[in-house]
Formats: sequence, C-alpha cells, structure tokens
Amino acid sequence: MAGRVIVITSGKGGVGKTTTSANIGTALAKEGYKVVLIDTDLGLRNLDLLLGLENRIVYTIVDVIEERCKLKQALVKDKKNPNLQLLAAAQTRDKSAVNAEQLKEICDTLKEKNDFVLVDCPAGIEQGFQNAVAGASEAIVVTTPEMSAIRDADRIIGLLNAKEEIESTKLLLNRVRPNLIKNKEMMSVDEVAEILEIPLVGIIPEDTGIITSTNKGDPIVNDDKALAGQAYRNVAQRILGEEVAFLDLDEPKGIVAKIKNVFAKLREKV
Amino acid sequence: MGLFTDFYNTVAKFFRPQEEHTEGEPSKSVATNRLKLVLMQDRTNLTPKVLEQMRGEMIELLSKYLEMDKDMLELNFEQEGDQVALMLSIPVIRAKDEEEIEAAKNSVEEDNDENIEEDEADEEAEIEDSSEEEPMPKKRHSKKVTPPEDVAGNDEEHHEEQEVFENVES
Repeated sequence: MAGRVIVITSGKGGVGKTTTSANIGTALAKEGYKVVLIDTDLGLRNLDLLLGLENRIVYTIVDVIEERCKLKQALVKDKKNPNLQLLAAAQTRDKSAVNAEQLKEICDTLKEKNDFVLVDCPAGIEQGFQNAVAGASEAIVVTTPEMSAIRDADRIIGLLNAKEEIESTKLLLNRVRPNLIKNKEMMSVDEVAEILEIPLVGIIPEDTGIITSTNKGDPIVNDDKALAGQAYRNVAQRILGEEVAFLDLDEPKGIVAKIKNVFAKLREKV
Repeated sequence: MGLFTDFYNTVAKFFRPQEEHTEGEPSKSVATNRLKLVLMQDRTNLTPKVLEQMRGEMIELLSKYLEMDKDMLELNFEQEGDQVALMLSIPVIRAKDEEEIEAAKNSVEEDNDENIEEDEADEEAEIEDSSEEEPMPKKRHSKKVTPPEDVAGNDEEHHEEQEVFENVES
C-alpha cells in the first residue's frame, strides 16, 4: 500500500509550518512509521536546523532533480530515529529550480516505500506553494489565532479546495495562549475553526520549550514533559485515525497557577 | 498576561534548577554556535562536505609540525565587517622537533617521488662539498638550542589560533 503525502502549509510565514513539519514527522516516526520530510523552501531552508541535521546534508532536492545524485543518496537519516528521513532544500537556488511535475514525481517515488511523506511548504501562494502541493493528497493548514494569519490561511484553504488532488484539508491552530483567550484578548479555538470552516487536527499551546528545542535542533515531541510536545503527539495520533481529545488548556498547570486558583476559590467562599 | 507567563516560567525554573544544570551547555549557546556555522556555510557556499575535507587537509598539514588533539579541533568562521575570518583552534600537545619534521617530510617525499628525493640528496651532497660544512650535525645542534618543551610547554595544551582572511563578495 502506498503511503500518504501530506503538505503542511499556511500562506503566512512565521506561524510554525516548519516546526509543525518537524514535530509531526518525528512523532509519526516514533510510532514506528517510515516518514520522509521534504523541505521545499528553496533558498530559505530551515527544516534541517530544526532537526539538527544541518551538518549532514550533502545532496539536496535540486541535486536529485538535476540528476547529480540518486534520490536515496539525498535522504538524510535522523540522528535519533532511523524511521525519519529528510530531503533538504537547496540553499543556493530559488523556487524556479524545481517545477510541480518534478516534485510530484519525487513524492510518488517516496510514498511507495514510506508510510508518510510530509511536505514542508514555503510561505506565499506562488510557485513554491504550487510545487509543494503538487504531489500531496492531504493538507494541514497551520495558523495562529491572529487576524493576518487567519486571513492568509483562508486564502490558502480556498486554493487547496480548488485542487482536485487534495482530498482532505485540516486545521492546526498554533501558538494558542489560553490566558489571553480567557481574558478575551485572543480569539478562541472554536472561533477560529468556525471562521475557517475546516476540521481541526491540532491545537498547540504557546510553549517556551519550542525555543530551547529549536536551539538544540531537537523537536519538542522528544520532550515527554512539554505540553506542546504532547499536543503534537496527539496530532500524530489523529493523523493515524485515533480519536484523541484536545488538551484542556484551561486547567491550571503550574504551581503558581494552582496557588492562584486556590486563592480564587477561597475568595469565592468569603 | 504575558508578564504572568514570564513570571511563571521564572518561578518554575527555581523548581527544576538541577535539570537545567545537568544539560550542560545552555541551549542559547548551542543555537549561537549552530547558527554561526550554518550562516558561514550559506555566505561562503562551503558545504559541510568541503569543510570536512578542508579540516582533514589542515590536520594533515599541521601534523607535520605539531602533535595535537585532533578531536578537539575547532573550525569557525567569524564575520568582521564585510570580511569573513577563519578561526582555527587546536589544542597543541607539543611541537615536533626538527628531526621529526624532517623525518615526516622525507617519508612523504619518498612516497611521492623517489627520484626527486635522490636528486635532492645529490644536490645536498654537492653543497656539503663546496661549503665544507656538515648540515646534519648543525641541525641537531639547533634542535638542542630550542627543545620542543621550551616552545610548547610540557604537558599543557596550548590553543593556537590562526587566522586566514578571505574576501566575500556580498
């Protein structure tokens, strides 16, 4: 059976596409599935950094397309998990070095021997987006609860809906801050999902652990204690077809929050 | 509420200081080092493969003169204005004495071309005859004047930094 090709896209830059790709890929590989991550952001590659593989890249996707190496040679195995492999973007070329047909061919080849092919899409709606989407049959749209990101996500969803090959488009809401939502300073998860009208596949809380995990080149799903890591592991479970409840982000987690909660309850009694 | 989150994180850190310390190098420094290397690769178009090759050849060259801790060799590039400086840092165990350097040289030359080696030997002999001097004992003498211990210290490792400037067109 052929594997699934999922494109991870957003329209707007900086909402966490690459972090999401690295984490979902790692989480699926941890579950024992064979995963290939493709970085299609030619000229602005970063997926290698998030996985800590930046010094292992010899060949890139452009080398494969221009036949300087075989596809197999360009796949870099993850340090921790041999189930996970990366096909890096070229850093010295631009989006025009690749066309949609070539990318589709690569995806088609890779899905034969892998359970999942995750395509990390560049920001924007131009050639890079068209290329990244070409080989995929599923899409995950990453957005944050901010106006500009939601607007761009909506545009992307429209473009994805117009593509026959894309059978399912799901929403991943990133950098959610429950405290802000509680104070009505941030749009709630339900509100965003309602506006964009596509099913949710994940809600990822804002987590400072993301910064340290990026610093180290070690995806946060490898941190058992991190809340964002748990949220990403849940996303992987949902992709695999499991019914997993969304994390209850309103529950006070830390000591300070718990103490605050106790005081709040005391005050109610008085 | 951002302030609250920051405050919470600060407080939370107090409850797990052990964990922070056992991780060794702070992740910020890891990030800075990784980033420097990657940016240098991007700016100079030097791939990790080429860098590794460079590193290997540099070790080969320097090994002729120095005994060093090869595993600790650090190759860094630093941006200084519109120039990129190559910083090479190697813990030196000791400097080799001239005899060893000469021996290493000869073995390389023997490997490369035995004929040239012979020609040079003949030339040396001629010089010896004409100047009526003996080059070999003279060399041994100079070795005694500056023994390697005086150059590099006994067992202490010295970091020698070498800079090579390279123009980068931006």
